[in-house]
Amino acid sequence: MILDWLLPILISAALLLAVAGMLKRISLWRAGQPEKVNFFSGLMAMPRRYLVDLHHVVERDKYMSKTHVATAGGFVLSMVLILAVHLFGIENRWLSYALLGALVLMFVGSFFVWKRRRNPPSRLSKGPWMRLPKSLLMFAVSFFIATLPAAGILPEAFGGWVLAVLLAAGIVWGLGELVFGMAWGGPMKHAFAGALHLAFHRRPERFGGGRSTGLKPVDLNAAKLGVEKPTDFKWNQLLGFDACVQCGKCEAMCPAFAAGQPLNPKKLIQDMVVGLAGGSDAKFAGSPYPGRDVGFAVGGPNKSITEGLVSPDTLWSCTTCRACVEECPMMIEHVDAIVDMRRFLTLEKGNTPNKGAEVLENLIATDNPSGFNPGSRMNWAADQNLRVMKDVKEVDVLFWVSDGAFDMRSQRILRAFVKVLKAAKVDFAVLGDEERDSGDVARRLGDDATFQSLAKRNIAALSQYKFNRIVTTDPHAFHCLKNEYPDLYPAGQKPAYEVLHHTTFINELVKAELLNLSEFKGGTVTYHDPCYLGRYNGEYDSPRELLKELGIELAEMERSGFRSRCCGGGGGAPITDIPGERRIADMRMEEVRAVGAELVAVGCQQCTAMLEGVVEPRAEVKDIAELVAEALVEEVSPAPAKSREQSKVAKKPLAEEVS
Amino acid sequence: MSEDIIRRDPRAEWIARNRLHPLHQTMQASPAETRGPSGLIRRNPHAVGFIGPNGIKRIDRMNASGPATVGGRRAAGAAKEVELPLHRVENPDYYIAVVPDMVGGRLNGHDKDVIGQAHKLIGEIGGNGAVLTIVFGEHREEAFDKAGVDRLLHLQGDEYEGYSPELRVAALAQVEKEYAPRYWLLPDSVAAGFELGCRLAARIGERPATQAWQVGAEQTICRGAGGTSDITRQTPRLLLLAEECADQIDETRHEVLPVELVGTVAGHASIRDCGQVAVDPNAIPLAEAEFILSAGNGVSDWAQFHQAAEALGATEGASRVAVDDGNMPRFRQVGATGTWVTARVYVAVGISGAIQHMQGIGQCDKVIAINTDVGCDMVKRAALSVIGDSSEVLAELIRLAKAHRQEVVENAA
Amino acid sequence: MQPDKQNASLRITALVSVGKHPGSGRARRAEQDARAVEMAMTLAPEGLEVLHAGDPQADSLRAYAGMGLKRLRVLQQGTNADAVPALSQYLKQQKPDIILTGVRAESGESSGMTPYLLGEALGLPVVTRIAEIVSIDHGEANLLQALPRGQRRALRVPLPFVASVDMAAAAPRQSAFGPASRADLESQDIGMAVMDEVKAAWSEAPARKRPKRLKVVKAKTAADRFKAATAKSSGDGGKVLRDKPASEMAQAVFDLLLEEGVLR
Repeated sequence: MILDWLLPILISAALLLAVAGMLKRISLWRAGQPEKVNFFSGLMAMPRRYLVDLHHVVERDKYMSKTHVATAGGFVLSMVLILAVHLFGIENRWLSYALLGALVLMFVGSFFVWKRRRNPPSRLSKGPWMRLPKSLLMFAVSFFIATLPAAGILPEAFGGWVLAVLLAAGIVWGLGELVFGMAWGGPMKHAFAGALHLAFHRRPERFGGGRSTGLKPVDLNAAKLGVEKPTDFKWNQLLGFDACVQCGKCEAMCPAFAAGQPLNPKKLIQDMVVGLAGGSDAKFAGSPYPGRDVGFAVGGPNKSITEGLVSPDTLWSCTTCRACVEECPMMIEHVDAIVDMRRFLTLEKGNTPNKGAEVLENLIATDNPSGFNPGSRMNWAADQNLRVMKDVKEVDVLFWVSDGAFDMRSQRILRAFVKVLKAAKVDFAVLGDEERDSGDVARRLGDDATFQSLAKRNIAALSQYKFNRIVTTDPHAFHCLKNEYPDLYPAGQKPAYEVLHHTTFINELVKAELLNLSEFKGGTVTYHDPCYLGRYNGEYDSPRELLKELGIELAEMERSGFRSRCCGGGGGAPITDIPGERRIADMRMEEVRAVGAELVAVGCQQCTAMLEGVVEPRAEVKDIAELVAEALVEEVSPAPAKSREQSKVAKKPLAEEVS
Repeated sequence: MSEDIIRRDPRAEWIARNRLHPLHQTMQASPAETRGPSGLIRRNPHAVGFIGPNGIKRIDRMNASGPATVGGRRAAGAAKEVELPLHRVENPDYYIAVVPDMVGGRLNGHDKDVIGQAHKLIGEIGGNGAVLTIVFGEHREEAFDKAGVDRLLHLQGDEYEGYSPELRVAALAQVEKEYAPRYWLLPDSVAAGFELGCRLAARIGERPATQAWQVGAEQTICRGAGGTSDITRQTPRLLLLAEECADQIDETRHEVLPVELVGTVAGHASIRDCGQVAVDPNAIPLAEAEFILSAGNGVSDWAQFHQAAEALGATEGASRVAVDDGNMPRFRQVGATGTWVTARVYVAVGISGAIQHMQGIGQCDKVIAINTDVGCDMVKRAALSVIGDSSEVLAELIRLAKAHRQEVVENAA
Repeated sequence: MQPDKQNASLRITALVSVGKHPGSGRARRAEQDARAVEMAMTLAPEGLEVLHAGDPQADSLRAYAGMGLKRLRVLQQGTNADAVPALSQYLKQQKPDIILTGVRAESGESSGMTPYLLGEALGLPVVTRIAEIVSIDHGEANLLQALPRGQRRALRVPLPFVASVDMAAAAPRQSAFGPASRADLESQDIGMAVMDEVKAAWSEAPARKRPKRLKVVKAKTAADRFKAATAKSSGDGGKVLRDKPASEMAQAVFDLLLEEGVLR
């Protein structure tokens, strides 16, 4: 019988070629920059990361998670058993039966994969990925029939040489796709690279329900800042790119892609793969960057990425909203990669587009993005009687004002929040002129030098005083303070405070019954999750609880919570202003309109500005602090004259503030 | 012109005749003071004042509501040019030299400020000082006397026409040699004064005070560090003066005696003036433009808008919405998220005034709103608001601008 | 960036100073000087030297280097030294074809005298406020000079010359941190330090706000003065015209434009 001797040869040949391919692939990854990972514990943690954390993400699509469990589980199991039965020739009927079972499982899974692929949504890549379910089916069927004799179900010589040749062909196809292809860049590469990517992930904190969203600081003394060539990435970032399954979940969530800006996170990751392996994107079979044709991008491990592989416009289109990262079943870090490449453009090339250069220059010269006199930071609060840290030294709550202090619209939010703080008699103070921009915009624009300089000076200012918590109305500052500043504390020091967003803090105040709130009177309300509050910091509940406390029944938008769509204001996107077909804020307002809301509650001044930038008629946009301040019931009992005066200030009509 | 034509007002005359007419009193020519038969001034106390609305007699000492003489000329046209006293300087002990910019061939406000400063210095120093004004090329100024020019050195000739700083400095150096002025005063202006002053300072080896704004014979305060600091220093011989450094001369006339240079001016011009280049007002950066015509959501006819900007010679601006809708390029966007503009005059056409936009025009001096919504924020901010259809108003503006240009051309001819 | 503009043999020296941000007062790259460097980089990337006289430790000098300069030459001097003698001595030796400066410095005296003093010392023609060097041919340069309100004048000057660069010139490229921190600040002690003794006698203080001159009414009588003093100032409250023919409203707008003198 031909198969008796052919099968072991085929299997071992495929395995040998696969090992060779894997070594080659590993060498490609190792061309990246060194990064310390704990190999052993990573490998040990890998099964759990795969079966729990990754499955958790895939589980959002029940159909897919079930088919994947069947297919992948069946394949892994049958591969092990194939080695036992067909390569090592262990003649055990039960083993053969088990193999048949595994293959059936795999067949069923593959069948559903195939069924879904018959009419695939646009986010899925075509090309070899259309072949994959067929290859899976072929593998399962061929080995199933080839195993039948071993299981004693069919006679040894059944079918003669015709069947044997057919089976051999099927097995070559199956092994070629699933074993050889895994190591040599076929669709199955994701299994091999993905497993290692999970083991050596750059942010192991993300597994086990954790969260790691802060960008990694740049070593400013390095010979090259940021990423110019694929090999400038850390080796495990390169590995991560290879883990991509081209499922397009990122593409479906990306606001820039939806707005027709030249960014598609999936294509970007695939371009990175082209870069690390060398070649062109001609074989890419998914959606292109909107407005750009596929097939002209050429790259190599040592070729500059922005010269031929990826257009800088693609990198500058990103709003850093993290929707792609949140959605990625392989836990690839798109935003890290994009910011790394932006860093090179800004720090080495000086090529931040549009107003970017001006904003960065202002940040350097005046510590705020618009170039205002830093001494005028407290002008907004001239009538607020705020205590300043310089005078009080010690306080319970430090109110981080953020750059909203310079913007008239944001000042209304700040005043509303101050009103709430005063109503709850919170012991609070502000940094005043000692506060600087948090560095968020500088960092997202790739200027880590300016970010670090701002952060270090902010840290120095914070370190002079004693306080228990920082509360801010700006989720971007919140994210920086909470997640990114700890990296920049002087060695051996740690922040000795908690950082809270104002929605969380007000929610606490309400729960502690420190605020007397009236019922909200008004129409339908929806809530827009700011990216830097939600996806970056996992705060989805406090704002909703707070709104409920106001008696608001939320009409949730289709994209809300961790799937909330960005307003378009993050990552310096309004500054770099890459043209698209639509505006992200308009699309978001369209979603607001779809639920018939007359009011959008937000928790971010940037979101407020972006959403209010949509042409009227549109829903009203209000920060939660403003809603709470409006709902405050003034105590009738001896109200201090001061607070009454302040409420008057807060209720000043718009015209006064404009003039 | 029309004020000078004497017109009869038959109704007023009739009221003046009719003593029973309720307005008769007001039509009486002020009879409060008359010369009596003996030549003494007589005052009629009954004729003074008028009966106020509450029946009480009121005396209006300002004569603000006084009647115009019946059938007479209207008061406005009657104001006569007053002959100012002539200030003479004979055989001056010293000179203070002033080199005005003469933009458009006339003294401008800055020039007059500088001449005023020269007289202020003479007043401080005392003695018989004269202001020597040096003018290059053709000029059209007729009122040197009222601006305070005692001596006028008019250097004419083709070589001084156009941009000729090197020859002008050579001439000034010759003035230095012949007249040795006590001070050299020039306007510190973009037009010419700054350049000429610096060249002269380098030539005659003086260290000038620039952007000087408080100048005495002893001490000068001038702006340094790009206008962010005040330097107090001893008054140097050569001063480049800031605008409004001193009051202009307005109470005296001066002789404007012509003087001449004795020697010849030896200068060599290596810079050749190839003439002015036509510049599109739209090429002026938005942040520096002095006059912006800005379009928003309310503009429907974009061709007309561009035409209006061209006719008025305004730089174009836009609101965010107009830019987002693709009607204007991004670099035209005005506002906190676009360009912060510093225009002196900002005309907002169909812009309701989002808060970011209002921030961006915070430094504008005069805002004019053309809008259909009287309640919008732009109207609240504007010094002048026109409520109406923007295309109609723009069409009228284009017509007016064209007519104005025509007029200017005719006048110049 | 056009290659036809570049001139391989052209040698340009751009003089740079330490700028000062008008809002924060912090040292920075001076805007006009940066434009001078930009102009020189576009015109002669090879034959460019960026020169500063003063403290070689000044951090803000690196902001110029961040535009992509390999090195920056600093003639080492104390803060009270006069920069012109040192610069003119150095430039006499170097003899560059074009010397570019800003119009006025953002810090210090900011009198704007540097280009003129250099021109006088080196015997070179000085061109003020240039916006662009259009071309160089037959040993002469075609320049565009910036006039107020965005106007331009074409000039022709023989090389070598000194020119001050106006704000109307092309905006400088972004200064990148990497090249800025790696550039070579070649400090040179030229062995001469002319102390600025005149300046030592001056006193400097933050700028006081200058009162704007009011329209003075020369009144002959007390009543007129009273009227002038109590007249409603025209500033407060805008005038709103509505429900009038468009021609009338446009006329009002036009009159205001005329009054403001923005119509040419």
